[in-house]
Amino acid sequence: MTPETLQGMTQDFMMTETDPQMVKSPEVALAVRNLNFYYGENHALHDISVDFPARRVTAMIGPSGCGKSTLLRVFNRMYDLYPGQRATGEVIFDGRNVLDRDLDLNILRARVGMVFQKPTPFPMSIYDNIAFGVRLHEKLNKADMDARVQDVLTRVALWNEVRDRLNAPASGLSGGQQQRLCIARSIATRPEVLLLDEPTSALDPISTARIEELLDELKEEFTIAIVTHNMQQAARCADQVAFFYMGRLIEVDSADRMFTNPKQQQTQDYITGRFG
Amino acid sequence: MSETTVSTNGWKPNPRAARRRSADHLATAFGMVMAGILVLVLASILWTLLSRGLAGLSAAAIMKPMGPPGSSSGLANAIVGSLIQTFLALLMATPLGLGCGIYLSEYGTSTNKFASCVRFVSDVLMSVPSILVGLFVYQVMVAPFGHFSALAGSVALAILAVPIIVRTTEDMLRLVPTSMREAGAALGATRWRVTLSLCLRSAKTGVLTGILLALARVSGETAPLLFTSLGNQNWSFSLNRPMASLPVTIYQYAGASYEDWVQLAWAGALLVTMGVLAINIAVRVSARRG
Repeated sequence: MTPETLQGMTQDFMMTETDPQMVKSPEVALAVRNLNFYYGENHALHDISVDFPARRVTAMIGPSGCGKSTLLRVFNRMYDLYPGQRATGEVIFDGRNVLDRDLDLNILRARVGMVFQKPTPFPMSIYDNIAFGVRLHEKLNKADMDARVQDVLTRVALWNEVRDRLNAPASGLSGGQQQRLCIARSIATRPEVLLLDEPTSALDPISTARIEELLDELKEEFTIAIVTHNMQQAARCADQVAFFYMGRLIEVDSADRMFTNPKQQQTQDYITGRFG
Repeated sequence: MSETTVSTNGWKPNPRAARRRSADHLATAFGMVMAGILVLVLASILWTLLSRGLAGLSAAAIMKPMGPPGSSSGLANAIVGSLIQTFLALLMATPLGLGCGIYLSEYGTSTNKFASCVRFVSDVLMSVPSILVGLFVYQVMVAPFGHFSALAGSVALAILAVPIIVRTTEDMLRLVPTSMREAGAALGATRWRVTLSLCLRSAKTGVLTGILLALARVSGETAPLLFTSLGNQNWSFSLNRPMASLPVTIYQYAGASYEDWVQLAWAGALLVTMGVLAINIAVRVSARRG
């Protein structure tokens, strides 16, 4: 893949983003079909099939070790970093199987962003934390880059807090600010899907509330998949909820039905706090 | 009935506790005495060095080159020779050591046979006697050409510096959390970009410390230079010819029967020590900044 084609792709995408009328918005952003995942010999995910609707928040819940984070890490092929981990089946994203061996991972990860449990500010300034990811995929002049940085920082409600110290090291921010910076960094490359792996579990309640508000705004633009241990968070933020247990998808439904009238007994037990 | 009974048995002296307490005092005292002896050894070395070295350290000692006994000569060519050879050695050792350390940390997983092999070889190289390194370089770079050279001296020093840089680079990169690498990869950065812009960047203080430690280590080495750059009484800036160095000069002068040469040897020793001390302070300062 040459830089020109990459550039072209990004521009295509920018057009879709700024003018949704031009491209028919797909119903399903990510379609998972018969997905199995293995950590070496350990069979961690069994025959998962589930759709992630575009521009909706899908929450993945379940007790520790149920495979929800594993599924999230399949969507951007994060597991590729580790030999011995492999996936079979299909995850269809924009007409292609994400699991294809010849898929360009750098492009996939530009289109499917990820935010981790612990904030991971890069060892550089606040400005460069945002610019780092953008520079990997686009060549922007100074003014455009400045605009991009301001735009994403404004969207995560961090601009007013950091506008005077954009060149200060990002490590000086508080935990909640760092996490918002990481979200800003992820959306700065203009992905279509945003994966969030327990993004608020290391944060205080106020920071958590801000990030939940943020999700509500971001879903107008991005398809969001969020792994959470916090049932209230899932109920507050998600449109669709998927419950996992022991590496299997037990139930997936709209958040309303899931929390008021789940079909499966296991789901009922989990959301009422009887186990997990 | 018995609710008001106060038992005082709990407070009576316990012989076991007293024994434990005295053992504790004894251990503390032992540690303090040992630490004191160590400090005393170092202090007496430094004191001897300072009192003898300062006497010989004059403007002439630093400004004038070496010369015959009784000619008010100095160490200037040895000082410059040492600087040239150690920095040239560092120039060769740094890329090699960095590259190797990066490979071991980022690409050489525990299952990688080649990486385990490289790691083992590097660790062995770290404990090879330095005179052996001198002999080796003599065989490959001096004997075939029929003359000693400053370049050979630098190569010998570089061989000693590389494993130190490899080890610290690998260790420091391993301290970078996996989450940093994942976050970089998640943005679509290639592995090399993640290594260079994120891992090496967050480990830069530690890596720099390793390079400085290697510099401190080789700047006092004598044995590898004896068979390689040999030493030189006169000014020489040619890498293809023998070059003077402080450690070799100290070795030659300290045993001489001329009073002024012995004096200069002490001054040289003081200079080397101060140099190493300065590097170590620089290491501490840079480590604290990071």
